[in-house]
Amino acid sequence: MKGTAALTEEQVYRRCPLGQLDFETTDSLEDLELPCGQARVLRALEFGANMQAEGFNLFVLGPSGAGKQEFVERFLARHTETQPVPPDWCHVFNFQFSDRPRAIRLPAGEGRQFKDDMVDLAAELRTAIPATFESEEYQARLQELQEEMAKRQHQGLFDIQEEANRNNIAMITTPAGFTFAPMRNGEVIDPEEYKAFSEEEKELVESKVDELQKKLQLTIQQIPRLRKEVRERVHALNEEMVQLTLGGPIGELRAKWSHLQGVVDYLDAVREDVVEHAEMFQDVENGVPGGLMGRYRVNLITDNAETVGAPVIYEDLPNHQHLVGQIEHRARQGTLYTDFTLIRGGSVHRANGGFLIIDARRVLSQPMAWESLKRILFSGEIRIESLERLYGLVSTVSLQPEPIPVSVKVVLLGDRLLYYLLSHYDPDFLDLFKVEADFEDDLDRDEECYTLYARMIATMTRHLKSRPLDRAAVARLIEHASRLASDQRKLTAHDRVLRDLLSEADHWADQGSSGVIGAGHIQQAIDEREYRASRIRQRSREQVGRGIVIIATSGEVVGQVNGLSVLSLGASMFGQPTRITATARPGKGQVVDIEREAKLGGPIHSKAVMILSRFLASRYAGEGDLSLSASLAFEQSYGGVEGDSASVAETCVLLSAISGVPLKQGFAVTGSMNQLGEVQAVGGVNEKIEGFYDVCRQAGEVRNQGVLLPASNVEHLMLNEAVRKSVAVGDFSLYPISGIDQAIEMLTGMEAGEADAAGCFPEGSFNRAVADRLGKFAEISKKRDDNDAGEDKSGDKRED
Amino acid sequence: MTNGRTDDRKAQRHSRRGEGRIVVLLDGSPMSYAALRAAANIAAQTGAEVLGVFVEEMNLLRSAGFSFSREVGSASGISRTLDTARVERRLQRLADHARQALAKAMEGRGGHHALSITRGRVIEEVLALAGPEDLLVLGRVGWSSAPGARLGSTARGLVQRSPGRVLLWCEQNVPARDRIVVFLNDHPEANERALTAAAEASRRYRQAVTALLCPGSSVSQEQLSDFSRDLEVMGGGIRLRVLPACDPATIAQTVRQEHASHLVISRGCVLFQKPGADQLLVVLDLPVTVTP
Repeated sequence: MKGTAALTEEQVYRRCPLGQLDFETTDSLEDLELPCGQARVLRALEFGANMQAEGFNLFVLGPSGAGKQEFVERFLARHTETQPVPPDWCHVFNFQFSDRPRAIRLPAGEGRQFKDDMVDLAAELRTAIPATFESEEYQARLQELQEEMAKRQHQGLFDIQEEANRNNIAMITTPAGFTFAPMRNGEVIDPEEYKAFSEEEKELVESKVDELQKKLQLTIQQIPRLRKEVRERVHALNEEMVQLTLGGPIGELRAKWSHLQGVVDYLDAVREDVVEHAEMFQDVENGVPGGLMGRYRVNLITDNAETVGAPVIYEDLPNHQHLVGQIEHRARQGTLYTDFTLIRGGSVHRANGGFLIIDARRVLSQPMAWESLKRILFSGEIRIESLERLYGLVSTVSLQPEPIPVSVKVVLLGDRLLYYLLSHYDPDFLDLFKVEADFEDDLDRDEECYTLYARMIATMTRHLKSRPLDRAAVARLIEHASRLASDQRKLTAHDRVLRDLLSEADHWADQGSSGVIGAGHIQQAIDEREYRASRIRQRSREQVGRGIVIIATSGEVVGQVNGLSVLSLGASMFGQPTRITATARPGKGQVVDIEREAKLGGPIHSKAVMILSRFLASRYAGEGDLSLSASLAFEQSYGGVEGDSASVAETCVLLSAISGVPLKQGFAVTGSMNQLGEVQAVGGVNEKIEGFYDVCRQAGEVRNQGVLLPASNVEHLMLNEAVRKSVAVGDFSLYPISGIDQAIEMLTGMEAGEADAAGCFPEGSFNRAVADRLGKFAEISKKRDDNDAGEDKSGDKRED
Repeated sequence: MTNGRTDDRKAQRHSRRGEGRIVVLLDGSPMSYAALRAAANIAAQTGAEVLGVFVEEMNLLRSAGFSFSREVGSASGISRTLDTARVERRLQRLADHARQALAKAMEGRGGHHALSITRGRVIEEVLALAGPEDLLVLGRVGWSSAPGARLGSTARGLVQRSPGRVLLWCEQNVPARDRIVVFLNDHPEANERALTAAAEASRRYRQAVTALLCPGSSVSQEQLSDFSRDLEVMGGGIRLRVLPACDPATIAQTVRQEHASHLVISRGCVLFQKPGADQLLVVLDLPVTVTP
């Protein structure tokens, strides 16, 4: 196993071949309509956008900053431009139930026209109807009517008066009514004189008076009925006049809008309402009441007059009101009031017939917004209700506009965790969002990708209005994209990072008065970003340099090795070495993970320690007992340890402690190990290697130091220039390892040794040393057990 | 100020003779109080004395004195017994109201006023009090009129028989009327009296005048010119309209077309000679001045 070759410079960094980039600057490249490498999400969007069945709304999932919104908007803009423009919707007064405004659907663009027509009609009503009431014709007819009715009222009284007069009885009017008395020559007879009348005469007079009184009573009691008749006939006259006046303008509108039954019905209702309220148009002094005329207005909720194709709406504040609309109130003399003209449409109204893009996190963080959105999608209609009404906080009378049918595709944008949580916890979610459009984090870095990626960068620069990039800059950016993807065979698809880098590079180019962005500007942008985020890293390095955190980078020590860990802070990551130590003594086969005992170790780390414990037992104890009591610790680690990337290092240090063979401190080790002793890939190798390199450089001249890393991690290496230079001259070496024995050999300089058929390791090998030492531990343990058993037996006897 | 029962009618009739009083007929009805306010306004402008007249109608008092007397309510039609004492009390209360109303209407206006309370027949009592120089002001209808009536029997009688000018008052519901309309005929003296009354009204209300002429009738140009000149001095003017016909309906229609706020018409006009001519007064709902 000896002679594991160190990695070459080419192996630790995959350069972008300039030959693949056939252009001078990105100016000569065409725009890329949609970012490359997102075939899956594109197919999902195409499917979701075209799928007509219910519930096939989309959830576009991907990390924040991946450019989901822009991607979706660009896709939908292209997709919807050939689709039909959805209709306009308006609310009008409901003459039957005033608290339930009606909704009318009109072809796109006709809503405005209808609104204007109603404004014109109202203006005409305002002048034409009062003019009708002032006309000679109306006045004359009204006068005739009133006279006729007055005459009829009079006639009854006049007839009675006539009859009384014929019978020499006077009908006298009193302040409160009428009375009858006998008269002579137009004068009421003196009551004293009347007493002298004969009984027959008196009886005649009194019976006549009685008869006349009854007739008069009947006649007077008819008067209210006559008055009512007058009112009815005046109303009928008003109606007739208004009907004639309205005939022209409403007739024209009816003919114009005959293709829309809803509008025709509304116009008929307007006509009936005007006729019913004809008297209110007669107030010459104050004019027609504004409240009455306000009823004939049109509240255009959705105006698609200028919409091209189906609408694509992005709601940046998706709260309940903004989504479903609201009913506003106006304060008047300390009182809040509302009417149908104060109904405001929401983004669902605007997106009706098209697409509504919403950020999932935002809609979930707004009270009731998510529930309202789901209710719309389930019911297929928008019902405008205020939040306070939904919560039952108010019980005042308000409006209940007629629900508007809705056909909208909702596109939610969110990160993956949110999608999985919603799928798990919201039973409605998968019924409504059946299309999952998952964004790729990385793209394949193959021969074809270079041109596409360069075009994507060119498109970005144009959107950002930044300078073009020359070929070398694009190459450097592609290499950095691989580093960001932590993979030589991938390129990051993270839109925000690339944009930010381009903007910063453009800034540095501007500072350097350069017309194009060169590789140097890209590098400067990378370095500056790294520098800005380097405070914690530098503090950590300083502590190592001053010996506060003890890391050995030379010499050999038993039971001590350099492990590597990665710290992730905000958007930056950096690696740093950690001293791992082990102790070993005879015991009952347990390996104490001090981190776990101190509750500083996470479950994955505990699992890794258990694996290495089982590995030791199976390799060195065979069918016997593993008589070992060992401990493992991450020295000067106070913040918790998680992950299994130190399990190779832990195995090596434990074996060193058992065998007493020292380990070379010039190496750091990373990699996880399985129960068979095979080394497996880990994350963050670039940061870890660079971190150890920095510590070595800080400790003095870098020479004969290096890192052992899993062979399967080699293709993830995209190391920085400093490391690459040291690797090139052989001062700093990176060794790919695939088994634990390789690590042991590198760290000890001894042959590991393979067990023969009997399970014995060759003499002088490292494994033999381990096995021998464990054998001694076993003997010691056995003796101790025997002694303990003897003591127990004698003790028992004494007790007997 | 006289506010007690007046016995010496002759003395009253001839007091301040030649200056012309305003005699306003009060019967306790809303229309009579409206007429009182109009009279007070005129008095404030002319400085004339106002004499209120309240007549306790003899026929009414007598009619309550029979054992079978009953009163049928004008609004409800309900029949109740009626006796003299009740009618007396009622008339007393109305007279008190009339007195208070007169005092209130004249308050602050400074002119002389008096209330005459008499017992008898209304027309005769009023004619006994009002002379030819006096302006008689009364509501078109009183409380005693039948429901819906537009011209009461007292008004009819006084218009026909009054020796002087009569102003039949009514409250106008329709605003924006701004012309005095005077109806002229072939009688030059009557025309002059009518034009004088129209000029006074024009002055009082600051409104222009329209003169209506029956077809075929003529008015001396000189008379019209003088009249026109008088009005122009006051900043007004006169418009002459010849009517197509001389029936009450045509006159009423023309009056409406002119947006008349006030009509002046002479009692000597041929219209008044014909039977049923007072129909014109019935159909017009505006104040009418009838000149001798």
